[in-house]
Amino acid sequence: MMTTLTRQDLNFGQVVADILCEFLEVAIHLILYVREVYPSGIFQKRKKYNVPVQMSCHPELNQYIQDTLHCVKPLIEKNEAEKVVVVIMDKEHHPVERFVFEISQPPLLSISSETLLSHVEQLLRAVILKISVCDAVLENNPPGCTFTVLVHTREAATRNMEKVQVIKDFPWIVADEQEVHMTEPRLIPLKTMTSDIVKMQLYVEERAQKAS
Amino acid sequence: MSRDGWRKKASEDDGWGGRGGYMAAKVCKLEQQFHMDAPREKQKEGASSSIFNGVAIYVNGYTDPSADELRRLMMLHGGQYHVYYSRSKTTHTIATNLPNNKIQELKGEKVVRPEWITDSIKAGRQLSYLQYQLYPKQKSLAFPSMCVRKAQEPASSNPSHPHQGNIHPQSNNDQILPSYSHPKTALNSPLTMQQQSNLIQHSHQESDIRLNGSVRGCPRQGEETPKVNGVHEETRDNPCPATGGLKESTLINGHAHLVNGALKPLDLAPHSNRPFAGVRPRSPQPHSPHLEHRDAAGPSRPPPVSPKPDADQRPRTPIACPSKLSNPQSAPHHRQDSDLPSAQSSVLPGLSTNQGLFNISEKSVLQDQTGRVSVNGSFHSVSPFKPTPNDCGQSGKSVAQEAEAKIISEFYSHSRLHHISTWRNEFSEYVNSLQSRRRAGGGAVFSGKDRLRKLCVNSNSGSSCLRAPQVRQSCILHVDMDCFFVSVGIRHRPDLVGKPVAVTSNRGPGYVAQRPGANPQLEQLFYQRKANQYRSESRDGELEMTPSPENEETQNNGMVQDLAALSMAEIASCSYEARQAGVRNGMFFGQAKQLCPELQAVPYDFQAYKEVALTMYETLASYTYDIEALSCDEALVDATALLAELGITPNDLASAIRADVKEKTGCNASVGMGSNILLARLATRKAKPNGQYFLRSEEVDDFIRDQPVTRLPGVGRSMASKLGSLGVNTCGDLQQVSMARLQREFGPRTGQTLFRFCRGLDDRAVRSEKARKSVSAEMNYNIRFTQVEEAESFLTNLSMEVQKRLQGVGLKGRRVTLKVMMRKPGAPVEPAKYGGHGICDNLARSSSLAHATDSGQLIAAEALKLFYAMKLDVKDMRGVGLQVQQLEGSHAGHQDTSSPGTSRSRSIRDLFMAQRPIGGQPSASNQEKSSTVTAPPTPPSEPMPGTSKGEPPPVHTPNHARTRLNFSIEVPSPSQVDRSVLEALPAELRRQVEESWSHRETEPNTSAPPLSSPCPSPPLAQPRGTLVLQLPNQPGQAGATGIVLELPDFSQVDPEVFAALPQELQEELRSAYGRRENAQLQGTVVEQRNALLQLKQPTAGRTKRRYKRRNASPAKKGPSPLKRLLPGNSPAKHSPSKALPLPPKQIDASTGLKTENGPSSSSQKQNIPEVLSKYTPRPAPTLAGACELSDIRTILREWVTTISEPVEEDILQVVRYCTELVEDKDLEKLDLVIKYMKRLMQQSVESVWSMAFDFILDNVQVVVQQTYGSTLKIT
Repeated sequence: MMTTLTRQDLNFGQVVADILCEFLEVAIHLILYVREVYPSGIFQKRKKYNVPVQMSCHPELNQYIQDTLHCVKPLIEKNEAEKVVVVIMDKEHHPVERFVFEISQPPLLSISSETLLSHVEQLLRAVILKISVCDAVLENNPPGCTFTVLVHTREAATRNMEKVQVIKDFPWIVADEQEVHMTEPRLIPLKTMTSDIVKMQLYVEERAQKAS
Repeated sequence: MSRDGWRKKASEDDGWGGRGGYMAAKVCKLEQQFHMDAPREKQKEGASSSIFNGVAIYVNGYTDPSADELRRLMMLHGGQYHVYYSRSKTTHTIATNLPNNKIQELKGEKVVRPEWITDSIKAGRQLSYLQYQLYPKQKSLAFPSMCVRKAQEPASSNPSHPHQGNIHPQSNNDQILPSYSHPKTALNSPLTMQQQSNLIQHSHQESDIRLNGSVRGCPRQGEETPKVNGVHEETRDNPCPATGGLKESTLINGHAHLVNGALKPLDLAPHSNRPFAGVRPRSPQPHSPHLEHRDAAGPSRPPPVSPKPDADQRPRTPIACPSKLSNPQSAPHHRQDSDLPSAQSSVLPGLSTNQGLFNISEKSVLQDQTGRVSVNGSFHSVSPFKPTPNDCGQSGKSVAQEAEAKIISEFYSHSRLHHISTWRNEFSEYVNSLQSRRRAGGGAVFSGKDRLRKLCVNSNSGSSCLRAPQVRQSCILHVDMDCFFVSVGIRHRPDLVGKPVAVTSNRGPGYVAQRPGANPQLEQLFYQRKANQYRSESRDGELEMTPSPENEETQNNGMVQDLAALSMAEIASCSYEARQAGVRNGMFFGQAKQLCPELQAVPYDFQAYKEVALTMYETLASYTYDIEALSCDEALVDATALLAELGITPNDLASAIRADVKEKTGCNASVGMGSNILLARLATRKAKPNGQYFLRSEEVDDFIRDQPVTRLPGVGRSMASKLGSLGVNTCGDLQQVSMARLQREFGPRTGQTLFRFCRGLDDRAVRSEKARKSVSAEMNYNIRFTQVEEAESFLTNLSMEVQKRLQGVGLKGRRVTLKVMMRKPGAPVEPAKYGGHGICDNLARSSSLAHATDSGQLIAAEALKLFYAMKLDVKDMRGVGLQVQQLEGSHAGHQDTSSPGTSRSRSIRDLFMAQRPIGGQPSASNQEKSSTVTAPPTPPSEPMPGTSKGEPPPVHTPNHARTRLNFSIEVPSPSQVDRSVLEALPAELRRQVEESWSHRETEPNTSAPPLSSPCPSPPLAQPRGTLVLQLPNQPGQAGATGIVLELPDFSQVDPEVFAALPQELQEELRSAYGRRENAQLQGTVVEQRNALLQLKQPTAGRTKRRYKRRNASPAKKGPSPLKRLLPGNSPAKHSPSKALPLPPKQIDASTGLKTENGPSSSSQKQNIPEVLSKYTPRPAPTLAGACELSDIRTILREWVTTISEPVEEDILQVVRYCTELVEDKDLEKLDLVIKYMKRLMQQSVESVWSMAFDFILDNVQVVVQQTYGSTLKIT
C-alpha cells in the first residue's frame, strides 16, 4: 500500500522534521569531528546512511546537540527554519566558519514511502560525504575553537519561539551580532539536494583570515 | 511504556478510579487470572511444557505473534506474562520495534524478539536469548532509524504501518499514522439517506427560488419556503405530472419546471419575450440557461446537448415534452437524438435506477410518477454533476458518467467566459491563417490598403513632395473597440445610445433572494479586507469566522446589507455614460443599479459579438496581415511597413481604420499609436472614447512620467502595492529606482522589464503568430461534489475536454497541472453567488509525464494521481482546473500551417539571445547589422542528397522567415524542404513519418531557424525532429543556394526509424552518409575548427542546445566586423524601439529569428536547421535549454573552444544563468559551473576568455554577495 502525505497533513512537517533533525545530528557530529573542534579521541566511528560517520561519545556534548535539535524540530515542522547554521568560533568568539544548512520546501510536496526510503537517504548520504571531505577546501581553523548552532527563522517565528520553550531552561536567544558577523566571508558551496520533501543546500562560509 | 498493555484492558473494566492502589490491585488480579487460565489453556491445548519456567515476559508494541498469542504460549509453556512492565519481575521484554528513548530506558534489560519464544517452543527448550536480542548493543547514541530499519523487517508485513521505520523511528507512530489513512475512508462513507434527501430538497428549493426570481421578479423574492415543504408541496400540487396538469406547467408551476430542468429556459423564454439564442450568462442568475442545463444534465439522463439554443425551436419543446409524458423515455431523448445518438441506449437503465433513488428520497410520495419525474429527482440530487454510486446503481452510474461527460463540454459551449477566452485563440488562429494564406497565395489583396493608397494619391496628387521620406519609425497601432459588449449590444438600438447601459445577465430590478447557506456579508467582508490588505500590506490571510454580532452591526449598515439582496450578476461591460456614474466593469448589477438608477441592462449577444469581432479583424486584415489578436475586441497592428509604403501618417491610417470599422460594424473603435506595443496601449487609454492618439517619440518621456504604474502591463494589485511601499506610484517615480533595486525586489526578469517599461521601452514585437504555452480547462462554477467518485469522474471528463482542446490545436503536452479551489475554512458553505466558488484557497499541483500526450485518459490518470495526492475533502471543492503545459506539436502538418515553430520557440529563446533579424538591409539597426553580418552563409555547392534524388526542388516562396517549413521528423529525408514533398508522399508514409516523430517527442523541440542568407534567402525546410541531417558545407560560398542538412553520426541513427523509412529514403541516407566523408574533408579543409563537432554529439537533444548556444556567438573570424564595431550592444540596447524602423517583413523575420539565428558565419552551424526546445519556463534554471550539469559543461566547452572571442550577450546569458542558480539556491551547481568555466577559460589561449571569466565571476560574486552576504571562494 502506498501512502502519500501532503503538505496539508499535519504529519507532513513532522516527517520532514524527523528526517532532517536526524540528519542534522549526524552532520553536526561529523562537522565537529572534521573541523577538529573537539579532539578526535572523543569520537567513535559509526555507520549512518550506509557510510561511516563519526559520533562524539561525550555525553554533555551529545546532550547539547540533542537538545538543540529538539528545539529546532518544531521550527522545521512548521517550515519556519530557513537556515540551521553550525558556527565555529575562535577563542574570541568570532566566527571563523559557518556551516549553513539552508532549508526550503520544494514547490510541490508529497511523500510516499518509496521515494523517501531510497531517494532521500541517498541524497543525505551525499551531503554527509561532502562534509567528511570538506576539510580539503577549507583552511585550517585556529586552535581552541568552539561551536554553536544558530537558526535563521522565517518571518516572525521567533515570537512563538519565545512563548513556547520546548525544553525547559533551554531557550532560544537572539544571536549576538558578534556571533553572526564575519569579516570577508567566503562562500564554499558543498552540496545541494532536492528531494520530494525538502530542498536543502549546505555551504560553508569561511573567514578570509582565519588566524587573526 | 505500560500504556499499550494498559489500554488493552482499559476497555474491559471501565470503572477504574485512582491510579495508585488500583494499579497494584489490578496487576495482582491479572496475575491471578493468568495463573487460573493457564491450566485451562494447557488442558485445551493438550501439549504443554515448562520450558519458560521463571521467564516473565512483557510485550511492548506490535509483535508477531501478537501479544495475546504470546500470552497463551507463556501459559502453555510455564512462563509468566506481564501486562504491565515491572523492572523487578519482568525478565524479558518482547518487541520488534522500539523508539530510541525506550531503548535507552531499557538499557541493560533483555529486549528480545518474539521469535525467541516461538523458536524456543519449536526447539523444545529455552534457547539463549542472545541471538534474539533486538539491539545487540544498546548504545546511548544509537541512530534510531538504523535500529528501526533492522527492526522493521519483521514488522513490514503489517500493512497498517506503511511508514513504519522509514519516517518515524518511534513506534508511537502507530498512533499517529493510522489517523492519516482515515480521511479517505471517511470520505467514502456514504451519506445517510437523510442527508441525501436534504440535498435533494435543497436543490429543489433552489430552483424554485430561481424561478420565482426570474419570472416574477421581486414580489416573491425572499420568500423562502421551508425546504421540506418546498418539495412536498410541489409534489402534492402536481402529484402526477404524467397524467395531467401539464398545461399549467408551462406557467410558473414550480414543479413543472422541476420536472424538466433542461427545458426551463424554454419555459421562461416566452414569458420574458426574449430570445435566448446564444445567451450564456456566466453568473448564476435565474435565467442563466447553462446553469439549468447543467442541472438537468445531471446524472440521470443524457444532457440536452444544445450548444446553440435555437430561439425558434426551443419554445416549442416544453409543450411537446409534457404531451408525451405517457411515454416517458422518449421525452428526454426527444431533443437529443440528433446530438447524442450514442447516449440513447443508456438512458433507460438510468431512468429506472433514478426512479429508485427518487422513491427513496422522496419517501414514496411520488411513486406513481413515471420515470420522467424520477429523472428530475436524481438530477437535482446531483446538482454537482454526478450521482453518487449509492444514489443509483451501477447502470445509473454509467449513464450518469456519460451524461456528465457532456456537461463539461456543454459548460464550455455555454459559458460566457469560455466563449470570450477562446475567441482570442480563435482570432489568433484567424490571423495565423491569414499569414499562411499570404504565404501560400503570394499576393494578398489588401482592399483597405488599396483604398487608402488611392486616397493618398488623390490628395497628394498636387503635393506629392509632401511625402518626403519621413523617418521610418516603427509604429504600432493598438485598436480597441469602445466598450465592446455595450456597443455591440446597442448597435441596433439607437434609443440606448448615450444612455448608461450595462451588459449583464440580470435584467430585473437588481434584486434576488438570498439563498440559505450563503453569507454575502462575510464574503463582502473578506473581499474588503483583502482589498485593505493590499493597501496596508498587512499579511493576515486568515479568514475570520462568522463575524461577531458587533461586527455584523457595524458591517450591516448601509450598502453592505443591501448587497445581500442585490443582484450578484456581474456587469461585463458598461457604457461611458454609466462609467461616469461610477459603474465599473465587473461590478455587481445590483450595486450598479443603486449608483445609477437609470442604468439599462442589455443582454449578452454572443453571436453578435463574434460577428462584430470578426468584422473588425477582417477590416484590419484588409490593411495588413501584421496583426496580433489580443482579444475579441482588441488587436495590435504593426503598421510600420504600411505607413512606409503608403507614405501617410499614423493618424491618417488610424482615422481610416476607425472609419472603416465604424462603417462595417457600427461600433466605435479607439486607436492608440506609438513606437512600440507598450506606448500604443498607453496611448489608447488617452484616445478613448472613440478617438485616436499618436504618442510621438518626443512626447514619450513626459507622457510616461505621469502614468500610474498600474497601467504598465504586468503590474497588478500586489505588485502595485509593493511598488507603493517603495514610494513608487507613477512611472516617473519608477524611473528613479535603479535596475539593481528593481531586480532585487522583483527578480531579475521582472525587474528589468519594469525598468524598461517605465521608460517607455518595450521590445516585444507584434506577433501575428503565436504559440500556446498551455492548454487548459477549468470550471469553478457550480462545483459541488458529495463523493470522491464524482470528483474523479469530473476530472476524467475534464481531461477529455482538455484532450479535445489539445487535439483542436494539434498539440501535446508533457506537464499536467491540477488546480483546485477549495472553500476556505470558515467561508460560508454556500457562496453569495449561486453556484459560485465563494472564498477559496487555490491549490495547484503538477507532475510531468514521460511523453507528451494529448490523450484524455493519460491526462486523467495523471490528474487523478495528483488529486489523490492532495487529499482533499471533495465537499469543499469549488473549482477544478486542468492545465497541460510543455506543449509540443502533435504532428508536423498541423504546425506547419497553424503554429509555426518560430513563435513557439520564442518564449525561451527571447531571453537567450538578442534579436537578430536576418535578411534585412544592413542599415536598419543594430540587430540588423549583426544579422547581416552573421547571416548564414552558404549552402554548399554540393548537391544535397535530397535534391540529388530528383525530388522536386525546394519551392522557394517569398523571402520570409516564416515561410520555412517546420517539418518535423526523424525521418531525415533531406529534401523535404517543402511541404509539397511531404504532401506528395503516400499518406501511409506520411503517417509513419509523423508517428515516428511523435514517438520521439519526449525531446522537446520546435522549429529550426530559417536558413537565410543576406540576400533573399530561400525558405528552407527545417527538419524539426530529433535527428537532423546536416551536411557540412563550405562557408564563405555565399550566394549558393541549397540545403544544408546535418547528418548525425551514423551510429546515432535510430535503426527503427531508419528501417521504417521507405527504401528510397534509406538509400538516400546511405548515400548521404557516404558523401559526408567527402564533405567532412572539405569542411575541415576550408577552415572551421568546429566544423563537425556536432556530429559527434551523442544525442540530438544535446546537439540542439549546443547549437543554440553556439549560434549566439558569432566567431571572431566570421565576417562580423559590424558586430564588433558596436561595443556594448547588450540585449537591452537592442530594443527595437530604438531601432530604425524596419520594413514589416524584416520585423517579422526578426521576431521569428531573434532567438535563434545569428550563427557565426565562420561556423557551419548556422546552416544547421536548428531544433529548438519549446519548454515552457521550467523551474530549474537552464542555460540555453540545458539543465543538467553535463549538458551545461558541454555547452560551455563548445562555447569556449570553438569561439575565439565571446560576445557580450553570451556572457550576459551565462551570468544570468548563474544568477538564476543562486536564486534557485543551487550553489553547488553554481560552484561547479564556475570552476569549470575557470578551468576552461583561463586555459584558453585567448586572453579575452580570461577577461570574460573575470567579468562573469565579478557579476556572480555581486549576486552572491547580495544574497548571502559573502562571496564565493574560488580556489
